[in-house]
Amino acid sequence: MGRVIIIGNSAAGLSALESFRQYNSTDEVLVISKEGTAPYSRVLLPYILRGKLPYDCLNIREEDYFTGLNAKCVCEEVLHVNAAEHTVVTDRNTYPFDKLLIASGSHAVSPPVKGLDQEGVLHMWTRQDLDRLLPLFASSHKVVVIGSGFIALQAAWAAVSRGLQVTVIELMDRIMPTVLDEKGAEILTQKIREAGVNLMTNTVTEEAEKTADGRFLLHLKDREPVEADFIIVGTGVRSNIEFLKDSGVVTERGIPVDAHLMTNVPDIYAAGDAAMGPTVFHDAHMTHALWPTACEEGRVAGENMAGKDTVYEGSLNMNVTEMFHVTVASMGKFRDSETEKSYLFPEESGYGYLKICYEKNRPVGGCLVGSWEAAEMFGRLRKVIKDIDTDAVPKEIFETVLSETIPGGVC
Amino acid sequence: MQERKTYHSICRMCGSGCGVDVEVENNRIVKVSGNEENDINRGRICIKGSSAATWLNLPERLRKPLKKTANGFVEIPLEQAMDEIAAKMKELQDTYGKQAVAGWKGEGTGFNQNEQLMRRFNRAIGSPNYFSNNTQCNNSRYEAFYLNYGCWPQADFRHTKLAIFWGTNSPAAHSFWTQDLNEGRDRGARSIVIDTKYNEQAHIADLFVIVRPGSDAVLAYGIIHRMIERGVVNQEYVDTFTLGYDKLKVYAERFTGEYVEKITGVKPEVIETIVDMIQAAGRQVCSWPGTGVEHQANGVSNSRVCSLVDALVGAIDVSGGMLINENMKTNSLVLGDDVPVEGEPIGKSVYPVVDYFKKESHTLMLMDTILTGKYEGRDYPFKGLIMTAADPVMTEANTAKTIQALSSLELFVVKDLFLTKTAELADYVIPAACNYARDELYFNGMEQSVYLAEKVVEEPLQTEYEFLKGLADRLGAGQYFPWKNEREVIEYMIEPSGFTYEDLQKYPSGLRTVLVHYHKPEERLAKGEKPFPTPTGKIEICSTVLEQFGYPGIPTIDHLPDCILQKDEEYPYICMTGARKIPYFHGRYRNIPQILKAHPHAEAEMHEADAEDLGLKEGDMIRVTSRVGSIEIPVHIMKHDTIARSAVQITHGWENANANYLTDDSDRDPISGFPNLKTFGIRIEKL
Amino acid sequence: MKAITIDQKKCVGCRNCEMACAYEKSQETCEVMFSNIRVSDYVGRGFVVPMTCFHCTEAWCMKMCPAHAITRDPETNAVIINPNRCAGCKMCILSCPYGNIHFDHVHMVSHKCDLCGGKPRCVTHCISGALRYEEVGSDGLRYRKDVLPEETRG
Repeated sequence: MGRVIIIGNSAAGLSALESFRQYNSTDEVLVISKEGTAPYSRVLLPYILRGKLPYDCLNIREEDYFTGLNAKCVCEEVLHVNAAEHTVVTDRNTYPFDKLLIASGSHAVSPPVKGLDQEGVLHMWTRQDLDRLLPLFASSHKVVVIGSGFIALQAAWAAVSRGLQVTVIELMDRIMPTVLDEKGAEILTQKIREAGVNLMTNTVTEEAEKTADGRFLLHLKDREPVEADFIIVGTGVRSNIEFLKDSGVVTERGIPVDAHLMTNVPDIYAAGDAAMGPTVFHDAHMTHALWPTACEEGRVAGENMAGKDTVYEGSLNMNVTEMFHVTVASMGKFRDSETEKSYLFPEESGYGYLKICYEKNRPVGGCLVGSWEAAEMFGRLRKVIKDIDTDAVPKEIFETVLSETIPGGVC
Repeated sequence: MQERKTYHSICRMCGSGCGVDVEVENNRIVKVSGNEENDINRGRICIKGSSAATWLNLPERLRKPLKKTANGFVEIPLEQAMDEIAAKMKELQDTYGKQAVAGWKGEGTGFNQNEQLMRRFNRAIGSPNYFSNNTQCNNSRYEAFYLNYGCWPQADFRHTKLAIFWGTNSPAAHSFWTQDLNEGRDRGARSIVIDTKYNEQAHIADLFVIVRPGSDAVLAYGIIHRMIERGVVNQEYVDTFTLGYDKLKVYAERFTGEYVEKITGVKPEVIETIVDMIQAAGRQVCSWPGTGVEHQANGVSNSRVCSLVDALVGAIDVSGGMLINENMKTNSLVLGDDVPVEGEPIGKSVYPVVDYFKKESHTLMLMDTILTGKYEGRDYPFKGLIMTAADPVMTEANTAKTIQALSSLELFVVKDLFLTKTAELADYVIPAACNYARDELYFNGMEQSVYLAEKVVEEPLQTEYEFLKGLADRLGAGQYFPWKNEREVIEYMIEPSGFTYEDLQKYPSGLRTVLVHYHKPEERLAKGEKPFPTPTGKIEICSTVLEQFGYPGIPTIDHLPDCILQKDEEYPYICMTGARKIPYFHGRYRNIPQILKAHPHAEAEMHEADAEDLGLKEGDMIRVTSRVGSIEIPVHIMKHDTIARSAVQITHGWENANANYLTDDSDRDPISGFPNLKTFGIRIEKL
Repeated sequence: MKAITIDQKKCVGCRNCEMACAYEKSQETCEVMFSNIRVSDYVGRGFVVPMTCFHCTEAWCMKMCPAHAITRDPETNAVIINPNRCAGCKMCILSCPYGNIHFDHVHMVSHKCDLCGGKPRCVTHCISGALRYEEVGSDGLRYRKDVLPEETRG
């Protein structure tokens, strides 16, 4: 009987465990997480903060989940991996393994600005962050969000929804560069401002000064300072790979893996935010730090660890949420600079701003700031871009639907 | 929690008669689904059928009798209402003669059985008249089929090789035919849809042909002409079983490809394709004329000639063709001529064929008679009308005249489930028990089966039988209504069949009383009997009945509507009313909230090129004006050439865009007296 | 295992399925936006097809849902959304290759076919016979087999 270790019990780890168990019901599986044994979803943080979901919905698996899958989960911190010896060393134990999955995720990072290391400056990334943010949301009036990416703006929207006065400070001249093209960002900017948010682009934060009353005064370059009761920093995440130093597993910014999600060491796999996997656009190694990518990579890793020869078709970046009364979504390549041509849906479609991009007349992505109905199109787009096998709808029917909904959709 | 019980019953939300499972909880209908055991619809129903659970429980249902006073309607006890109505009827009949009062049957609570009861009632009180909306829907085809075949045959779509749908959209009008045809298609059937606009039926058609409004019969003759020329006629069958083929052949000669294309817009090669398809189907053809062809000034002839395609290939009473159905023997509730009446039926002298086959008075002429006190120049006081669950304000041609006439009656009684536009005009409004609160007998022609739609809920409301019996009792005609309730009525009806009420109860999903078998005309011929129930025993291509009444015997279409022959500058567009919409049935169901939310208003459907000419966008409001009246209505643009050019279709039944303000009650079919609802000139102004 | 199968060639686009589903789920309206089955009618090419959830063996919506709101009903095999757990993030909508998950903008949650607990209202309202609720094989290709045109069926 083999021994399998999965480091991490979020999207990639859980997905891997479930896929592994589809093909292997006998091997011993140990899941190690430093964040506790109850899996939760960090995607839900903004939804809980704004009251859309109750707190207990944060947990995304039943209590008997691990035992039901004949697995064990321990709350320990992995300190080191020894590839040669096939062992994982935690703060409490040393565990031998036959197969290892590193799904250790990522952590939020802050920009090098003075004063961001103080109490009252938070990220919105972990359960612990949520526990600290919830009382602040309930008792405060003013919040400053540093950064204007997907997480930052979701935090801002949650704060607006709860009636807080919100300032968003962005260093660059536009918001959401990884999710929207310029036009989409412009439209969303308008929506954000209409919702009463003080959105400041091209703004450099010089210092977060804590005042005598325990509040903050943010000093900005060439601008009036801004007051805040607390600060949320949403300026990106980095892979959790520190424990792999000298382990024998090659790391870069993350852990490069092949199309089987295997690292340079046979028997050691990586998936999710910690991994750098192949993309559908033939990038060999890229980290998306996105929930769906983690799910997909976890599945492929889990299947391969169970002995199935599953080749990953590559990750496809996709983002979606509803904020500031509009559905924001994107997938694949959506910038005019990286695609050959694009199609913009006309106003009478009722979709809002919806753009589909093409390369060699084949859809490669799109972005949306508009109606939720348009989001349905992205599912079809995903199937086309990833070239997933149609197991439910005959090709001719699917292609008819596709070509009628997405111009040039059939390739 | 109350126990939930499921009953097998028959849907009465339209006339199709699908089998339903009615779930009842606490004497309340909570859910209606398709009855899988019923062979008619095999578990499938439309949204109308299931919405009965909402419709019948609406708070707007009438619960108390209403009497109109100077201050509007006031509630009065039922017995008082019945006494007052009966007294007024008696007074009117004593003063003006028996013909002054009659009943008009609607379809809000039931169909065939209610018709028989109303016919019985009218005769029982000495009235020569019987009214229903059939004088502008259904009767033209009834007459057409009876003229041709002496009966109304049933289309066997499940086994056909070729179905031709003329101006009919079965998904909306006869929903289970869609399933039947699809079963036929599984066995290789093909279908042709001939219509002025693309419809649901056309989605599964092998060939969809757009004709100009009012020109269907020209196309049918064009097809027959080519069938004759190409020898796609079953000569032996025609020689043996039909009468007047030679006359038809001569008449058909004028329908050359060139002429047909000029009138219908259909190219000769399309006709060749149709004839090819007919030829390939042998005798397994069902050429079905729908309301689209009967609602025209040549309605009877149109329906006859469309159906004659079947006769010419010998598709009558063969599997996959048109079944001449049999069913169990029943007692009719209709009283015989031995019960005396006073006065002449309205319409009989003008449309004798209607009286010959249907014994039905003419509702459009009734309106004139009410308003003028004269019928065909002769004094004819008509003062009192008893109407059960009909809404002619929405459905009768020329709404303005209808309202005027009904408002001027001395006694107007409406019995219905809701306070309809028509009921608003009444002196008395009597709340009706719904179909599920009464026993009713149903027959299906294709299955040759009988269905007992039993009472499944108790409503403290009067059924139509109780209503008519109550009035008859008070008017001294109680001897004609000896039965305590409708169960006893049904027992009387089925007595000759040898089946009992309990037998029918045992088979709520249908009891097949006579097994279907074909080629009965051939068998009868061999036995020396008349093959067909026509006067000559033959399929009367040239009708002896029509000739007897002074009409040409073959279906003639010599008088095409002017507006399709040349453009009328004053009324340049051709209006068609009455296309069925899936969630509605004529004037009904606009009060079902969930359906209204999905289909909230009337629409004038027109070709995108016409809309462009008029500068119209989707949803723009227009004023449509005919020679009779005008309405305001939003536009729906039909793209991809899915409607004939210059044609505008407006479905009836909308209160605030009532198509019948446009229709002309005086432009009528010479045989049936049907109003022309499908081909009249209009002009359009953008608002 | 039973599933809803679709025979596209039989569909007449009557939309009874849409109306019935919308009403069954909302108890208020037949408007298509509340329906879990959608009829796409491409008049220009004379093509109409009803689409509803196939309850895929490899259900990507279920896999991708970050809220654990999507599970499989052990009795009917339906992939169902628990509206009390749904965050309304729409990740499932982006995951479904067929556009069979929709958004309820009143309650701000995703909605999809749940097979009505084993008595699908759309099927009892499919007057054409295009939709059936019937036994299918347990393999992932069961729908393909059932929806392929007659001549290519095995």
